[in-house]
Amino acid sequence: MNPGVTPPRSLGELFLGFLSIGARSFGGVLPWAYQAMVEERRWLTHADFTETIGLCQVLPGPNIGNASIVLGKRWFGLRGAIVAFLGLFALPYFWVLGLALLYTQWADHPLVTAVVTGVGASGAGLFLATAVKLGRPIAGKPAAMVLIAGCFLAIAIARVSLLVVMPVAVALGMFLARKRLL
Amino acid sequence: MILLELGLYFALLSLLTFGGVSSVIPEMQRYVVDVKGWTTAADFMQLFAVAQAAPGPNVLITSLIGYRVAGFAGSIVALLATCVPAGVLAWCLSGLWDRWRGSPWRSVVQRALAPLVVGLIAAGGYIIATPHAPDWRLWLIAGGTAAAMLATRLNPLWILAAGGVAGALLL
Repeated sequence: MNPGVTPPRSLGELFLGFLSIGARSFGGVLPWAYQAMVEERRWLTHADFTETIGLCQVLPGPNIGNASIVLGKRWFGLRGAIVAFLGLFALPYFWVLGLALLYTQWADHPLVTAVVTGVGASGAGLFLATAVKLGRPIAGKPAAMVLIAGCFLAIAIARVSLLVVMPVAVALGMFLARKRLL
Repeated sequence: MILLELGLYFALLSLLTFGGVSSVIPEMQRYVVDVKGWTTAADFMQLFAVAQAAPGPNVLITSLIGYRVAGFAGSIVALLATCVPAGVLAWCLSGLWDRWRGSPWRSVVQRALAPLVVGLIAAGGYIIATPHAPDWRLWLIAGGTAAAMLATRLNPLWILAAGGVAGALLL
């Protein structure tokens, strides 16, 4: 274990740490999780954090939810996994539900609907930007571009079920990656 | 039994969520709006907007859908169904992943999934910004947001707020 690093000593500390991550994670959790766990509380090294997030990005499921479970388990076993997960979601769950209820009260007001629809379209734009960022490093590979376009057309335009697209795309991706085309 | 149906569907989706929740947004929308008719496409877009604007993991959109479909119980069931199956898998595989450090399979899996995730997230953006027929105003806001996000280092929250203002002016 790295000498500059002290993992949480109690379940309470673990809970409060994840609570503080959930509470402030405006506009995406990852940067705040890094700030809280690596910079402030020094639970993890930078390399350890990157490695754990890397695992959670390869595995299915919500990345940060998975990270809370993996880290909680590492420090305190099953109790740790549950406590970290609950800490992460405790505040954001109520905030998002509260915001949704508030919105429902005002949903008949055309200006409110317009603002929320604008935020939705803007959120869609964040997705597009994320796709561009993630796509840049692989954009030079023709096989990758074909796979990206194929997934996009099948899901967005043809509206094929992910249950069909996913197995086909994963099999194709694994084949191409093994042939070093990806 | 709508709770059971909701739970089973999100549990299945949980295991297909590669690259974060963003990549299954299109599938969620297809099922909730097209297949089940639980909400309209415009309503789905607004739930998505609320989930984006609130702090917290973006998986919380599932609890908003659950709430819309089956109240508080629905919101808890949908959230847990989305997180727990994948969480159990992560629990089981986290030890294995460390043992695979440096194995060529790790790199093969990562390279195989990358294009898939890009295609799915782009599809999510398109579907959310196109709830009905193509609307240039929504596409303009989405395109402007993407450009601002790529060109600046602003917190996304400010960009979402600008999107809300643009919505008030254009829509």
